[in-house]
Amino acid sequence: MGLIFFIIIVAFPFYWMIVSSFRSLSEILLKPANLGLDIRRIDFHAYYEVLFEHGFLRYISNSMYVSIATVVLSVTLATLGGYTVTRLRFRGQAIMSYSILLIYMFPAIVLVIPLYVMFSRMGFRDSINLLILVYLAQTLPVALYMLRSYFQTLPHEMEQAGLIDGCSRLGVIWRIVIPLSAPALASVALYTFMIAWNEFLFAFMFLDTPEKFTLSRGVVQLAGSVHLSKQLVMAASVIVTIPILALFLFFERRLVRGLTAGAMKG
Amino acid sequence: MASLTLKAITKRFGKIVALYSVDLHVEQGEFCVLLGPSGCGKSTLLNIIAGLIPQDEGTVLMDSKSVDQLAPRERDVAMVFQSYALYPHMTVAQNLGFGLRMRGVPKPAIREQILEAAHLLGIEELLDRKPRELSGGQRQRVAMGRALVRRPKLFLLDEPLSNLDARLRASVRLELKQLHNMIQSTIVYVTHDQVEAMTLGDRVVVMRQGKVHQIGRPETIYALPADTFVATFIGSPEMNLYRGRLLRKDDRPYFQGAGFSLDLGGCQLNLQEGEIELGIRPEDIGIGQGGTTSLQATVEMISNVGSEKYIHAHLGQENLTIRAPKESAFEHGQIIPLTIAPERVHIFYKGRRI
Repeated sequence: MGLIFFIIIVAFPFYWMIVSSFRSLSEILLKPANLGLDIRRIDFHAYYEVLFEHGFLRYISNSMYVSIATVVLSVTLATLGGYTVTRLRFRGQAIMSYSILLIYMFPAIVLVIPLYVMFSRMGFRDSINLLILVYLAQTLPVALYMLRSYFQTLPHEMEQAGLIDGCSRLGVIWRIVIPLSAPALASVALYTFMIAWNEFLFAFMFLDTPEKFTLSRGVVQLAGSVHLSKQLVMAASVIVTIPILALFLFFERRLVRGLTAGAMKG
Repeated sequence: MASLTLKAITKRFGKIVALYSVDLHVEQGEFCVLLGPSGCGKSTLLNIIAGLIPQDEGTVLMDSKSVDQLAPRERDVAMVFQSYALYPHMTVAQNLGFGLRMRGVPKPAIREQILEAAHLLGIEELLDRKPRELSGGQRQRVAMGRALVRRPKLFLLDEPLSNLDARLRASVRLELKQLHNMIQSTIVYVTHDQVEAMTLGDRVVVMRQGKVHQIGRPETIYALPADTFVATFIGSPEMNLYRGRLLRKDDRPYFQGAGFSLDLGGCQLNLQEGEIELGIRPEDIGIGQGGTTSLQATVEMISNVGSEKYIHAHLGQENLTIRAPKESAFEHGQIIPLTIAPERVHIFYKGRRI
C-alpha cells in the first residue's frame, strides 16, 4: 500500500507533465482536468516552440557544457584526491580526510548571498564558468568521500604489484585503480551530473544574460513570462528530465559490482 | 640475477620496532628463506627490499650498489604476493605481460616471453582467461609467472603457498625447488612454515619480533640451533626443553631437572654450575635399556600420525615427547626406560646455545 501511495505521489505529476506537454493550448484551456492522452492528437508543437522560439536549444547546450565540465573536473579531482587520502601517508592526512565532509555541511543557501556579493565585486558574475566552479565545490566533497570509501576496498597488494611491475603512482591509478573503480566512478559521475544539471539556486542568482541561462534557469524564465502557456512549461520540463533519465538508465547497467573478483585468493 | 645485502635495516611503526638492525647477505643464485612466526617482521623486510616501504635506518644493496634511492619499479625485482594480487581486469596473458609492457618491451618479444613462462608453468591454455575464472592453484601459477616473465635480478616471494590446500602446497613446493634449480635465480622467500623453509632454502633466516635469531643452512639450524627460540620453533614435534641446574659430581657434569636428573657424561662444558636449559629432540630419545644415561618415563598419551607415533609421557614433573616407530605398542600408564645420548643433548645458557 505504502509503495503504491508513493508511486502515485511521484508518478502522477510526472505523468501529468508529459501528457500536458503533448497538448495544444486550446485543448488545455477547454478541458484542463483531462488526464487521458489521445494518441491521435499528440501535438509536438509545444516542443518545437520551446526549443526554437524560446531559446531552449541554447539552454540545453549551456547545461550540457556546465554539467559535463563539472563531471569531468569533479571525477578527475576526486579520483586523485580520494586516492591521495586513502593510500599516501602525509602530515595532516586525518584532518584533511575529515574536513572533506565538513565542507558539505554548509547549505547552499547560506553560501549563495556571500558568494553573490563576492563574485559581483570581483566582476565574475554572469559567467557560466563560474557556475562550474560553484558546482565543483558542491559536488567534490561527496565525490571524494564516495571514491575514498571505494578505494579503501581495493586490495593494496594489487597496487604494490603494479608499482613493482613498473608503474609510477599515476600509472597505478590510471592502469589499475581506475579500471577497477568503474562502478564507483560511474556513480560519482552520475551524481555530479544530476546536481549540476538540476541546480537552480546559483544559476538563478549568478546568471543575468539569457544567452547564458542553463535549462533549469530557462524553465523558470519561461514559467514567469507574461504569456504563460502551460503546455510550453511542461514541454520544457520534459526536456530537462529526459537526459537525466537516459543517463541513469545507461549508467545503471554499468554499476555492476564484483569487478575485483579473482584478484585475490580463494 | 644479483646478490643482495642488507645492512643494519631498522624499521619502526610508531613506537613499535618492527625490524631491529637486520643484517643479511644473499649470494647470487641463492634461495634464501625468511622464517618466523607471524608478526616477526619478515614481510616488512621483504617490502623494504622491494622498495614498497622505506626503512628508517640501514641500507639495501643489490650487487653491492645501494638501491635506497630507487623506486620499486627501478629496482628490477619481482614479487609474488600471498594473495597473488593479480590484475582482475586483465587476462592471464595481459597479467603476465604487464611488467614487460610497462618497460617498453616490443610486443612480439612480450608475446614470446609470455609463452615461454606459460610453458614453464604449464598454464598455456589459461592465457585468455580472466583471474576470476581460475582456481586457487592456477592463480598461484599466474602470480609466479608474472614474476618469472620479467627475468628480474631478484625474486621476492611472500608466503606464496599459504593459500593452497595441503596437497597442492606439497607439489607446488617441489616444483618451485625444481624451478629454482632450472633458472638459478636469487630468491628471497618469506614463510612461517618450517617445512617449506627446510625443504626449499639454501639458507634459512630465523626471525622473531624483528630480530634475526639465526642464519644458516637448514641442516645446521636443525642440528645446532643457536638459541631456545630456534630450537623449539624448528622441528615437529617440537624439541623437549627443560629448565634446571647444571651440577657437577666428581667433576662429571649432570643436569638436575624437575624430578629427574640426566648424566651429561662426555659433554665438553666450560660452564661450571648454574641455571641452564636442556633440549632433546623427540627422535633423539631411545626407548629401552642401555647407553650411559638411563631414565624412566610414564606413558600418558599416544598420537599416531601413520608413518610414526608420538609418545607423550611424563619425565619427573615434566612433559616429554618421544618419536617412536609405527610398529611400537605402548599403553597409558606404562613405564618405559629411556636412553639419551649425551652428545645429542642441546644445552642453552641464558637462552643461548653453549
